Amino acid sequence: MTAPCAPQPSAPQPSAPQPSAPLVRQARRLLRCYPPAWRARYGDEFAELLLADLSEHPHSWRLTADVIRSGIAARLASAGLGGHPLDPATAARASLATAASALAAFLVAGATLWAQLTTGWQWAPPVSPVTTMAMLIMSGMMGLFAVLAVLAAVPVIWAAACAGHAGAGRALRAPALLLALSALVLVVGGRHFQNGWPGTGAPWWPRQHLVPAGVAAFAWACTLPVTSYWAHPAALASFPGAEMAWMTVSPAAMLGVVTGAAGLVRRVTLTPRVHRYEAWLGRAAGAVMGAFLAAALCWVTEGGPAPRGLFHAGVIDSAGIAIMLSALTVGGQALRRADQAGGPFVSTNPSLQGRR
Amino acid sequence: MTGVSERGGGGALGGLGRSTGPATLILSSLADGAKHGYALTKDIEAFAGERLAPGTLYEALSRLEGQGLIEALESEDRRRPYRLTAAGAQVLRAHLEAQRRVADLGLQRLAGGWSPA
Repeated sequence: MTAPCAPQPSAPQPSAPQPSAPLVRQARRLLRCYPPAWRARYGDEFAELLLADLSEHPHSWRLTADVIRSGIAARLASAGLGGHPLDPATAARASLATAASALAAFLVAGATLWAQLTTGWQWAPPVSPVTTMAMLIMSGMMGLFAVLAVLAAVPVIWAAACAGHAGAGRALRAPALLLALSALVLVVGGRHFQNGWPGTGAPWWPRQHLVPAGVAAFAWACTLPVTSYWAHPAALASFPGAEMAWMTVSPAAMLGVVTGAAGLVRRVTLTPRVHRYEAWLGRAAGAVMGAFLAAALCWVTEGGPAPRGLFHAGVIDSAGIAIMLSALTVGGQALRRADQAGGPFVSTNPSLQGRR
Repeated sequence: MTGVSERGGGGALGGLGRSTGPATLILSSLADGAKHGYALTKDIEAFAGERLAPGTLYEALSRLEGQGLIEALESEDRRRPYRLTAAGAQVLRAHLEAQRRVADLGLQRLAGGWSPA
């Protein structure tokens, strides 16, 4: 609690004019620019001031732009990406959750590219040495991603289990359930559809001696919705109904995995030591992401226009590179913020203490 | 007691970046007593001729509160008043004195030697 300044007189304060119903609706819409925690803290008083300003300047685009800009700043702070967060402890967890979400987006885009290449290699090796080297690096990095994911998940799952055992796991139930169900759908569906596509279903380990055919086919099935078929409705209409359904369900399952994992990280209480460990793993993942991206760039730029079967780089692959680059940038910023947060794991904002 | 330095705020308004201008206006307005958001904008408009938009005002209020330079008072209605803390008064005084030194120097130099080319 901060000590107040010298005793200050309380002067009569001006009151805002009464707003009309349309202005109230406009203010409510603008208030949604801010994250829920910010609205819980400042929403009422901010809405009152906003209504007063809207009453005086109902068509002011500067006013609207100011609210949207500061709302975005508040959301970035809430996501642990910048600005001044309401509560450092929450922001530290949010930074880790955002880094994990960025890594997940990177993995989806990366796995799409990699599954295409590695499935192709089950049947014929790439003709270009650059593509071969890129493929080897990407496969190695995928293996490292899997190791890092396990290392990162263990302490979070342990902390969640301890919280549940201590009777404090109520807030963790929803994200944990979402994560578990979505992962189950992804695994069962991926296993079911993994050999139903041209190119998949090769014999075990036949040519490259690097990636098992089942792993390649599973990654292919999970990333099936990332396809240019969406731009060709006639071709898409000829797909069996079950496969069409899977192409709709699997993105929802992937989103559920990411949302559940991020929700768990945001809610679970990590010790400063575990937070530093997770941030260290995040930096290691950043280095792996950089190596994977460099290899993918080599393949896409070297791929060339010639028909190369499954090794041909198309628009989807270029879009994947752009997504991975964006995810790497966002993840890096979130990790920098997580590092800056360092150790403030106790809320310093009295109005937020005890709040999730 | 939580001082400014404990919050990592640096104890100077310079640490507020683009919010330094609004922060100075807000702290100066609160120097003569607690005020809620609407009263703050009216007061600042009266003494500085500048109307702070709601988003800018509350962005700065949130930062200042987080740094322990102001604090919110309990209120029975939706309008929560804010008041300057001792740390806030100290930071404001240091900031304004630094600004005054710059202003005095600039005015002296203008009076001493400047003329249109």
